[in-house]
Amino acid sequence: MDKNKILRNLEKIVGKDFVSNKPEDLYIYSQDPGASLSRPTDFVIMPKTVEELQNIVKLANAEKIPLVPMGGGLTLSGLVIPVKGGIVVDMKRMNKIIEINEYSKYALIEAGVTTGQLLSYLNESYPNLQPPVPDAPPSATVAGNVLIHGSGYLSQKYGDHGAMINGLEVVLPNGDICKLGSCSISPFWFARGPIPDLIGLFISSFGTMGIISKVSIQLFDKPKFREVVFGLLKDPKDIPNILLKITETGLAEDVILGMQDKPDWMKGYVFVIAYVTGESQEEIDSHIKTFKRVYRKANARYMKTPDRIRNVYLEKPIFAAAAADYRKGGGFEYVGANMPLEKIPEAYKRGAEISKKYRIVPTLGSRLIGGTHNIVMFFSYSFNRADTKDMENARNALHETNKLALELGGIPWKAELAGQQLILEKMDPNYKKLFNSIRNTLDPNRIMNPGNWEVNQ
Amino acid sequence: MGGESIITLSEKQDWRDIVHRCFRCGYCKFTLEYSDFNCPSYKKYQFETYSTGGRLWLIYGIISGEIQWNEGIANVIYACPTCGNCTENCRFEKFNDFLVDIIEVARAEAVKNGFCPEKQKALLKRTENTEYYNPYGEKNSDNTELKKKYNLPGKAEWVYFIGCTSNYRQQNLRDATLRFLKKAKIDFTLIDEHCCCSPIIRTGQIKPVNDFINYNVAQIKNAGATKIITSCAGCYRTIKKDWLKFGADYDFEVFHTVELVKQLLDEDRLKIKSEYKNTVTYHDPCHLGRHVGMYEIPREVHNKIPGIKLVEMRRNRENAWCCGAGGGVKIGYPEWSVEVSQERLIEAKETGASVISSICPFCRTNLSDANEKYNMGFEVIDLIEFLDQLDIEIN
Repeated sequence: MDKNKILRNLEKIVGKDFVSNKPEDLYIYSQDPGASLSRPTDFVIMPKTVEELQNIVKLANAEKIPLVPMGGGLTLSGLVIPVKGGIVVDMKRMNKIIEINEYSKYALIEAGVTTGQLLSYLNESYPNLQPPVPDAPPSATVAGNVLIHGSGYLSQKYGDHGAMINGLEVVLPNGDICKLGSCSISPFWFARGPIPDLIGLFISSFGTMGIISKVSIQLFDKPKFREVVFGLLKDPKDIPNILLKITETGLAEDVILGMQDKPDWMKGYVFVIAYVTGESQEEIDSHIKTFKRVYRKANARYMKTPDRIRNVYLEKPIFAAAAADYRKGGGFEYVGANMPLEKIPEAYKRGAEISKKYRIVPTLGSRLIGGTHNIVMFFSYSFNRADTKDMENARNALHETNKLALELGGIPWKAELAGQQLILEKMDPNYKKLFNSIRNTLDPNRIMNPGNWEVNQ
Repeated sequence: MGGESIITLSEKQDWRDIVHRCFRCGYCKFTLEYSDFNCPSYKKYQFETYSTGGRLWLIYGIISGEIQWNEGIANVIYACPTCGNCTENCRFEKFNDFLVDIIEVARAEAVKNGFCPEKQKALLKRTENTEYYNPYGEKNSDNTELKKKYNLPGKAEWVYFIGCTSNYRQQNLRDATLRFLKKAKIDFTLIDEHCCCSPIIRTGQIKPVNDFINYNVAQIKNAGATKIITSCAGCYRTIKKDWLKFGADYDFEVFHTVELVKQLLDEDRLKIKSEYKNTVTYHDPCHLGRHVGMYEIPREVHNKIPGIKLVEMRRNRENAWCCGAGGGVKIGYPEWSVEVSQERLIEAKETGASVISSICPFCRTNLSDANEKYNMGFEVIDLIEFLDQLDIEIN
């Protein structure tokens, strides 16, 4: 690869200020905040328009240079760190909120719009509407989140955030721009079908199928009142029962669980955090009463919570990055695994055992996705970024946890390279064959985030 | 990054032991409500490298030996007005307070390693020049003439610390302050002041700082003063915070002029008899706002001026957009510096104000430069200057 020539050509596409191969920039883009080892990057580029993005893809395809699309860079599992070098495409300059449709309730946005930006814009200009918000810092992009099957705020009620995609505009590996969903037929980006649903190809494929330039994401009515109802459960075995009872009520907007050994008073308990909403305080009070009853019947007890803690959970987005500072070491990664409900108690028990084995304070959590259809389980490992052995320890813990999740019938979410291989080992061979065949058709030169989802032939 | 710790963050904590705590979560880039990127450097350059997180990771990379100093890294470290938006928005307690300190100490390391940019070096050269003792390269004024003109005593309770920008670039502000102090019958004098060291501390060129501080402290003590007053937000922050960090031995109190004005108004000793019939928006200087936490006093003073209509810009107080002049950016990146101010003026335009007031001569200079360059049509003025225009009576 003639790097000088490539740089000149990239500069012609986006201008000198928005492409770099300076060592200081490459150093930053060769790592992410998780536990993955750094991997070399050749260029970083920041397109402003879909035409610029298209020209970058065409150039990369002609020169057979890997492309790695990047949103907020916060997956923690190294998905935006190039595996085989190449160009990191930082999408942040494509940051237009193009349309808010108040009737069909969607936001059409460019791929670089952050969750913070959309949340703030709606709060200011459309206070009756709310977007789904992941448990991630506000610099996470909306597109990045939905494209990894992200979950978070509103997931209990409406499913994972990937399910909230109405439409995509995608630059395919050959440079073609393709619209998916109702927007391929209609000026309205209001629905995913009824046509063959190809959007799923681009979710959790980690940029291997193309680069998303626009996304239409569903918005939801914002109730006037919102409250958290905390419960304490003594025995993790009771988790399925309490979650079934909570979802039976139909009243919870979101439900998350947490279990951690520190501070000491939390040890041994599972915290149940249910969000209720309403149009009046009376309605909220009534919901709280219902939940107190549900908790009691499910061997849990209602916990009155100081405002200090309550406000932490009412904040949007929740400050989940706090986990990175538990040990004052600046490092944090988790296995998020989608699990069947019946396996959650065992996941808590064995997850805690793995943490202890690796001398990490057990910090586990879970979130309901679409009722009890799916539970995303978090096994969190904070580490000291200044200590390479501690980082290696965290990587080993993560790997063992990925194995556990698969053993229990779950699937690691946004898995790092090693986790992807564990998933592929268990995957139906014909699924892999189909996936690889589609990938080869779309990207015969294998320029799109190569190294991820690599199916060994 | 070896060698002795140059700025100790606290007695028990060395910056090298905490820099890796940055997770690069990115809260530091935003306004408080995430409506926009509020870090001037990140907004300009946009690469992650230019966020505070990017800088801290580069600094950690140098500490850990993964990367070595070069001009590019030094440029990233210097391309930051140290406005403190990151300290305001970083969520990690007992870490966020030190972000600007860490950037400044990294600049000191850049200097030690021979990577201080040339323009910033020139600033130190002028300041150290025994003819100047100021970053503007103006012949040092020992203020004898001013003392004569205003009939000031040799010793007094207060010293008015003029500051280099007011004394050599914003003399109208200096003279307005002198007239105000005289009207208020404050027992004050002037000293032969040398630079407070704000520009050289901000650019990491800290070698002569203790000498400058010791000289100024000695002058103030010689004047018999127990109180220092200044109209410069930069001098105020530096004397009040940085001199102590550098181990200065002083027990005088430090005031910004606006605090005196507020006190006189509260005590009913200052009466403003004429009206100031303008719509004014107040720009929070970073030195005084995020770095010292003074937000309401200037607003309370503005609101007590008869006739004034004080309106707020969208980003105000802790959320204020920096003027772009601080941290050595005005000298190191003059065009970008004025672009940052232009963004502030566009925001001011949205308020309907015709006047932008501030209480920092450095902000005043940069906002004025942008006002002129982009024909924005504002009057940019310091609070003490428009008080000077009014009919006031001080008892």
